[in-house]
Amino acid sequence: MMYSRPWRQYFMLVVEALPSARGLLPLVALLVAWQLLQTGNSPYFPPPSDWWNGLMLLAKSGRLYPALSATTITLLLGLAVAVIIGTGVGLLIGVFPRFSRAVGPLLEFLRAIPPPAVVPVAILFMGYDERMKLTVVVLAAIWPILLNTSSAAERVHPLLLDVARSFRLSAVDRMRLIILPSVVPAVLLGIRVALPVAIVVTLLVEILTSIEGIGALMIGAQRNFQSPQVYGLLVLIGLFGLLVNNVFAVFEAILLRRWPPKIQSENF
Amino acid sequence: MHKNSFIARINWPGTAVFVFVGLAWEAAVRSGLLEYEYLPAPSAIGLGFGELASQGILAPDIAHTLISVAIGWTVAIVLGISLGFLLGLSPTARRYSLASIEVLRPMPGVAFAPVGLLLFGFSLKTEMVVTILPVLWPVLVNTIGGVTGVHQRLYDVGRTFRLGRKDTILRIILPAAMPPIVVGARISLGLALVLAVVAEMVGNPDGLGYGIVREQQALRPDLMFAYIVTVGFIGIALNAGMLALAEALFPSFRQLRGGQ
Amino acid sequence: MSSAEKRSDPSEKAAGPAFECRSVTVELLHKFSRKRIIEDISFLVRSGEFLTIVGPSGTGKTTLLRAMGGLTPTASGSVLVQGKQLDGPPDDVVIVFQDYSNALLQWRTVAANVAFGIERALDRREIEKRVHGALALVGLENNAEDYPWQLSGGMQQRVQIARALALRPAVMLMDEPFAALDAMTKASMQDELLRVRDRTGTSFVFITHDIEEAVYLGDRIAVLKGSPGRIEQIFEIGLPAPRDQLSTRQLPKFLEYRYAVHQAIGRGYA
Repeated sequence: MMYSRPWRQYFMLVVEALPSARGLLPLVALLVAWQLLQTGNSPYFPPPSDWWNGLMLLAKSGRLYPALSATTITLLLGLAVAVIIGTGVGLLIGVFPRFSRAVGPLLEFLRAIPPPAVVPVAILFMGYDERMKLTVVVLAAIWPILLNTSSAAERVHPLLLDVARSFRLSAVDRMRLIILPSVVPAVLLGIRVALPVAIVVTLLVEILTSIEGIGALMIGAQRNFQSPQVYGLLVLIGLFGLLVNNVFAVFEAILLRRWPPKIQSENF
Repeated sequence: MHKNSFIARINWPGTAVFVFVGLAWEAAVRSGLLEYEYLPAPSAIGLGFGELASQGILAPDIAHTLISVAIGWTVAIVLGISLGFLLGLSPTARRYSLASIEVLRPMPGVAFAPVGLLLFGFSLKTEMVVTILPVLWPVLVNTIGGVTGVHQRLYDVGRTFRLGRKDTILRIILPAAMPPIVVGARISLGLALVLAVVAEMVGNPDGLGYGIVREQQALRPDLMFAYIVTVGFIGIALNAGMLALAEALFPSFRQLRGGQ
Repeated sequence: MSSAEKRSDPSEKAAGPAFECRSVTVELLHKFSRKRIIEDISFLVRSGEFLTIVGPSGTGKTTLLRAMGGLTPTASGSVLVQGKQLDGPPDDVVIVFQDYSNALLQWRTVAANVAFGIERALDRREIEKRVHGALALVGLENNAEDYPWQLSGGMQQRVQIARALALRPAVMLMDEPFAALDAMTKASMQDELLRVRDRTGTSFVFITHDIEEAVYLGDRIAVLKGSPGRIEQIFEIGLPAPRDQLSTRQLPKFLEYRYAVHQAIGRGYA
């Protein structure tokens, strides 16, 4: 049976998805070389060991974890709201083609505006607080999800809709049993595209406004010329991004195991 | 019949909705219905445009951002394509570098801003630090993909005609890999604009990004929105320009048209 | 196979025909004008009968089927299912589409797909019983937990048939269901379909452009021809049952029917 020991299969999926670890050589070599060459106390290029110390200092002073959790929570919450609203509106647009045609140019116009540019607008309208930060993340993350959902909803195969009619499904049942499952791969793709945008916008807000978060820590460290901490936090952000992406990839693989492999590979 | 189809092709409901929303917005603000301190009417935004342009502020800001975009994008293209070819042609090189690329790719450009500020303070170089890496990835990844994706059949054709290594690269691999490379270049261009604006918001007080933040802090929402709309238009123009260029240079590549 | 799965004796059902078309005409909107696709179609389908409809492409066979299935409205004339006029997709009629891949819910297991038509109307035990029964009828009991995309074309089409059977319909409408299958699969599917009919007493309306298939399967053949499509002729097929792929197809009568249908369809037909 194909689905016995599913956890083993998910693990194999992740392992297979990771390219050969040998590919990390350039990065490792860079760090090692940096470490060895920087013996002096350069304020601009501190060695990686100093980065670690800098981070530990931040952790001990009790500022690292709150910042990390603030950024993570904003990100996750923002994405969740974006998924709910984006999927909902996307389905509406996709299911009612006349609505979609009417709203089309407006959406195209709004889509052309890059999410980071909206941050100062939010700051102006909502001030310097957590609610504003969340709103911006939602606004930034919503577009890929909404657009992907609406296009997938429009593209539900007409035969499936015929089947729905032939079996006399109510409109609610049709949405629930046929359209919604059909758009799941598209929603996941939208989330995957929205993830990096959401991260960028979250950090941007934190850097601009110094609202609690990793970005705020970073800009604070830079203003105090604490270069080891700046580099350390940069690495931390990199690892954070990597973790988020991979966790999502596993989550996506688990969710998409019922779909034909063709759709699965499109999403990778 | 011709006239009919042209008129029929315009999205009347869509345009109507667009215009209607604009008019409704205008009316709401003017009549006091939408009394929000920082929400300007569309007409105010238009006037804001005029103000910026007539004071000679808008043009230099646009120029600055475009220069930043041009430098960042050009470096990314050159690096991306050359590195991409190297990696695309050599499986060994790929094995020893793909993981690093995968690790670096999710790095948000904005996170490099504090580093850039640390090294270069408020300058164009800081913008470059923010822009370069993220803009590199689409071109690099697409070039690698394009080169490795060249169909085996084409190599067979090359061998049949006894093409040497150099000729194979120039006359088979390069043209075959062009469509994804051009798509990657187009994505990178859009990305370069966004990152330049971001960099100007946090790293270098100059250009359109700084304009947005400056007017926000000066509590001039009309000018702020004018800047934002400018960024939007430039993005559309750059994208359209790239599409037109691609079509002019490679008229046979249908994959380049349509789709984002 | 338990007696529960066997349909009630056909003679117990309504005395009239399972299905009837009376002077059905269907027009469809094409660009900005109405085009008449089929015209004045009248025929009966008796209870437990296998009626095949043949015709060249473009004569509106699919349109006729959709009208019979309540998916396309008729411009004039009426469609009656067991004496009752059609008003949208009727209760006792199921359509099996040619494109099985897009007619099944690829994200559901085979069992869940088969249950699709009955899951809202029946209780759990009854659903399980019917699903199991339908899968047994098409020979897919061991694939209940697989996903459609893991199965071959023939098997997917059988899932669609099982889904239709789970509803215990009076009439099954089939739109060139085996056209996309290879010759050997097609042959075994044809026999399976006849076996299903024998066991359940369901009436079949089967559209095909394959004349030999039409003669092999049918109790009667309706030939659709022309544009707009009209019933050219209806043949009674007097071949012995049960049919056999090798021996039946070699009977002189088989060849006569085949020739006659060919003639009825006329020139311009491959």
